[in-house]
Amino acid sequence: MPGNTVSSSRDRRPVFLNLAQIALPVGALASIAHRVAGVLLAIGIPLGVYALDLSLQGPQGFARMAAALEGLPSRAAVVVMAWALAHHLLAGVRHLLMDIDVGSRLPEARRSAWMVNAAGLAVALLAAVTAW
Amino acid sequence: MVKRGPSGWLAWIVQRASALYMLAFLVAGLLWFLVDPPGSHPAWRARMAGAGTGIATAAFFAALLAHAWVGLRDVVLDYVRPRSLCGPVLAGLGLGLVAVAAWVLRILVTVRT
Amino acid sequence: MRLSIFRFDPDRDERPYMQDFEIELAPTDRMLLDVILRIRTLDDSLAVRKSCREGVCGSDAMNINGRNGLACVTPVAGLAEPVVLRPLPGFPVIRDLVVDMTRFFAQYDSIKPYLQNDEPPTGKERLQSPRDRARLDGLYECILCACCTSQCPSYWWNPEKFVGPAGLLQACRFIVDSRDRATAQRLDDLDDAYRLFRCRTIMNCTEVCPKGLAPSRAIEAIRSAMTRRPR
Repeated sequence: MPGNTVSSSRDRRPVFLNLAQIALPVGALASIAHRVAGVLLAIGIPLGVYALDLSLQGPQGFARMAAALEGLPSRAAVVVMAWALAHHLLAGVRHLLMDIDVGSRLPEARRSAWMVNAAGLAVALLAAVTAW
Repeated sequence: MVKRGPSGWLAWIVQRASALYMLAFLVAGLLWFLVDPPGSHPAWRARMAGAGTGIATAAFFAALLAHAWVGLRDVVLDYVRPRSLCGPVLAGLGLGLVAVAAWVLRILVTVRT
Repeated sequence: MRLSIFRFDPDRDERPYMQDFEIELAPTDRMLLDVILRIRTLDDSLAVRKSCREGVCGSDAMNINGRNGLACVTPVAGLAEPVVLRPLPGFPVIRDLVVDMTRFFAQYDSIKPYLQNDEPPTGKERLQSPRDRARLDGLYECILCACCTSQCPSYWWNPEKFVGPAGLLQACRFIVDSRDRATAQRLDDLDDAYRLFRCRTIMNCTEVCPKGLAPSRAIEAIRSAMTRRPR
């Protein structure tokens, strides 16, 4: 079959897609962090609802919730969630502004991406200082 | 022209609208918390039992769950392979979000009784 | 100048490998393509596409030190060494730096990149006001080199379903054209979960466009046209 050689060489077509070797511009960094933060926040939804449930059930529940927030793992979780919320919210505002054509040119978009990335980390730092 | 599946614009506008509402709710809620922190359980419960707070909170969770659905669906459509797994994974996520919605509804109703 | 170039010959190689080259720069080596063509005089097995060698035909798009660009308009001065050259990310490699663009052009074709107007011909050309004509600026200049689409993560994950930035820039060019009468159908065609809305406004497309165009803003314009249209 004459088509055979074609299809077999087609099968042997590698694709270069090594993410470690492809440049990650600052906007892409803000974007992937936006997604990671979003997934973290989604995981946090049931935890947050549980905390709300507990805190409203009665004085013991409220105290238990307050006490649970004291432990080291939960403080670390609070810091991570503070970063996730801050980054996701700020990156979201950046996109909302771009939707109405504010800051959607490349130089401004690069600058706002830097600002969002830095502000997210700054909030995490602030949360860490407050939590300890 | 053949229509291919549900509107992408609808999901997009739901994502944007829910984001705007949550932004307003969080900023207002945070300000209220900072200006007048509920230090005790009765104060906290009384605040959450108010009709205004109840409706605003219910709307917040509706927005949150809709927003989470659109975002998680994007993650699944981008990364879950083989593609045949997308359907079951999305169904599981949808069920989970509906369960959370029911839970929130129960909390908000019981706090008023 | 030291270069490290992606090599793959389907008839000889099991898998791709990187080959190092070292070449003395000549005074005529202004652009990266000049260097690549001189390397070809040393090793004529190196496969690369090129034609106009001045950024108009869009044939010599490749991944240069991690960023897509046209070798013919990338100045040699300022390139970090070794200069790492790889084929366009996410595109099937035919040989060395030559990739298969079939899927890319199929996506372009899918947006119907031509004027649609069923009104009877007026006997002369369909006129446009200078203002309407100006709306095509920044859209019509695309040379379809695929630098943007190949740098787009959304395209990497869904190359058969997401049109990609190059195709969407062209879609926008016809959506905003005052002479086109198929705007509603064009918007309907893009309104599903994949064709337009896989875009997450990462803006890698606008980062790398060698013509300085902004596909991300064209995509933004399409979304806003969908939002503004009567339902």
